[in-house]
Amino acid sequence: MKKFLAILLTVAMVFTFAACGSSNEGSGEAEGGEEAEVVKVGMVCIGDDNAAYDRNFYMAADAAKERLAEEGINVEWTYTYNHPEGDPVAVDCEELAEAGCVAVFCNSYGQEPKMLTVAKDYPDVIFAGLTNEGSWKDKLDNTVNAFPSIYEGRYLAGVAAGLKLQDMINNGEITEEEAVIGYVGAYTFAEVISGYTAFYLGAKSECPSATMLVEFIGSWGDPTMEANTAQDLIDRGAVLISQHSDSTTPATTAQANGVPHVGYNISMSDVAPEASIISSRIDWTNYFCYVIRSIVNGEKVDQDYCQHGLADGDVVLTELNENVAAPGTAEVLESVRAKIESGELQVFDTSTFTVGGQEVKSAFALDTDGDYAADSEEAVFDGAFHESYFQSAPYFALRIDGITLVNEAFS
Amino acid sequence: MTEKVPLIRLAKREDMARSRIWLIRLLAFVLALILGGLVFVIAGADPITAYSTMVAGSLGKVTGIRQVVKVAVPLLGTALALAPCFAMRYWNIGAEGQITMGAMMASFFALKMVNAMPSPVLLIVMGISAALMGALWAGIPAFFKAHWGTNETLFTLMMNYIAIGIVGWLQGGPWEGKPGSQIIPMFDEKAVLPSVFGVHIGWIIVLILTFLMYIYMTKTKHGYEIAVLGESENTARYAGMDVRRVMLRTACLSGGIAGLVGFMICSGADETLYQTVAGGVGFTAITVTWLAQLNPFAMIAISLLLAILSKGASTIQTTMGVPASISDIITGIILLCMLGCEFFINYKMIFRGHEEHPLAPTTAQNTEVPGVSPEAVKEVKA
Repeated sequence: MKKFLAILLTVAMVFTFAACGSSNEGSGEAEGGEEAEVVKVGMVCIGDDNAAYDRNFYMAADAAKERLAEEGINVEWTYTYNHPEGDPVAVDCEELAEAGCVAVFCNSYGQEPKMLTVAKDYPDVIFAGLTNEGSWKDKLDNTVNAFPSIYEGRYLAGVAAGLKLQDMINNGEITEEEAVIGYVGAYTFAEVISGYTAFYLGAKSECPSATMLVEFIGSWGDPTMEANTAQDLIDRGAVLISQHSDSTTPATTAQANGVPHVGYNISMSDVAPEASIISSRIDWTNYFCYVIRSIVNGEKVDQDYCQHGLADGDVVLTELNENVAAPGTAEVLESVRAKIESGELQVFDTSTFTVGGQEVKSAFALDTDGDYAADSEEAVFDGAFHESYFQSAPYFALRIDGITLVNEAFS
Repeated sequence: MTEKVPLIRLAKREDMARSRIWLIRLLAFVLALILGGLVFVIAGADPITAYSTMVAGSLGKVTGIRQVVKVAVPLLGTALALAPCFAMRYWNIGAEGQITMGAMMASFFALKMVNAMPSPVLLIVMGISAALMGALWAGIPAFFKAHWGTNETLFTLMMNYIAIGIVGWLQGGPWEGKPGSQIIPMFDEKAVLPSVFGVHIGWIIVLILTFLMYIYMTKTKHGYEIAVLGESENTARYAGMDVRRVMLRTACLSGGIAGLVGFMICSGADETLYQTVAGGVGFTAITVTWLAQLNPFAMIAISLLLAILSKGASTIQTTMGVPASISDIITGIILLCMLGCEFFINYKMIFRGHEEHPLAPTTAQNTEVPGVSPEAVKEVKA
């Protein structure tokens, strides 16, 4: 009897599944027919909601959806998560293209090579490598890349840090020599080097005695590692923490040690209200709108989205945390921002830094022969190193004086 | 009889009808689906939509099927690699490292020797070198086990971390592309496996391997030796077999196949080498091997099932916003139920006071462990 009942139940289950499955498919098709005007776009994400890095992209995607809706373009986003590299990225790209997305954005550097292999099979879909540089150089027309000029935001965030340090010196909390910034870095990668150098130069412009320690974690994001590294930097004498890594643990570690902090990607004042002064971030809203609008209007998408920074709103600073920031920071930030936007102030002004005690007279921007060493396009002219000028992806990789790397080999 | 009888006793059973065995398996699967459905409910998703989306996403269209096959290929290949080891009761937990080292060797030729030979030759060299490297990596713990009786479970496990560490070093060091990127450049097209029906030809290779492994395990002298050694080392020795030799040979064969799988992943799927090239396949394949009860053809079905689950998981993550970890939990539940039901197929529970015939021959002294190949047992008895 029990056996019979079991079989009966099983059969009933199977039928239920089958029946529900088919009815769902039917309703799905009906919906698709009614809302044919929706523009589908996809994003392949290196992480998920848990990473500050990815949250910054979701915020922009939502904002872009809202802005485009006002223009009469209805956007529907589809995300895939947690695939930093390799075949899973190709699978995601295919899946999104098959799902009818007109544009597929890949939000991390390591995803681009695989994205490019898929792109040739879907010539009508635009594949965008965000923070990448391989798409505009390849032979395909439907692959594009973008990297807003984040070094401008880094510099400005550095100014806020410098003001804080100088304030601490003026208040007698620290001596001039003790103005050491601790910077949690991901890898010794051009993007990171460009970022921390711009940050340091910003800080030094307001606190001339500032020096910096950079310690790499060998990962784009690892909450435990980031916290430990921030702690190590503080133990080494850092009195202010900043970061180029994906989580908020450097901020919370700074707060636990009573040390101020400057963040990246998102405002970290909510998790560390007594420490985090401000964050710089790339606001991808403009770019998302630009790409989607171009596709809808049948216009060509620029293959390299270059020279879009503070002035265009592609790079922004989060709200200033007045409780921690030095008095008068807001006003100084405003005036420095105006100077950067007008071009009066160059972030990598060669008169403000030295390499091995010498002023930099020449440095190449691009690599043309594929050996990963820059060999063309003189970046130093008119008294400054021109970052993100010949291509959007950062190429400033000089090791300037005043910055000490705690480690270099990681992995 | 004054001794207290335990509430539940376990007894080996061998008399179950085939139809009943399959009924139990079906029930276990249904139970797993219901338990998984509960997890979906807790995660805030409609279980029926979730399951149907998983099936539609993995089998509903050509690209889905291709991706399922792509995921199944390394699983099947590695399960095949593990089968002879497990039949011998040699616990090779090191497939992960053997895959990684095989992929590393293949990548060496793909990156450094790409201009030295034409594409077909290059691919063959990559495959052979990967198999040799995998065999070497598996041979080290086997050598120690054969000569000094070291614990192969721990040894092969530790070898994994060394292999992954070596590739991590190459990725950030000598083979790194753009400085600081920690990424090895993509292979030249010459070093990429060609595709048939939209999937790299690894799928044909593993299907051939499945057939060969079946023959090897059931029809050859080697297979017989493995089965005997798996039952009892002393019996094998008494029968005049060179136990060390059989052990080393089998472990190297296993590692060789795993190395070949590494070649297929890096050359066919990733088109470059990552530290995570094995990506847990070496461990998941252990489950595949056991679920298939060492039967190569059953492994095809099991690895496809796992691939469907994995593909379905990413589909529901994209379309329904169900976190991938929820899908991982459900996959885990399904595997646990499927493995668990084998217990009820192989053993029966006797409750206190319900002994049908306490001295029945079914409670005999057979010490068979669930999962050991029926063929192997039969041959030993023969």
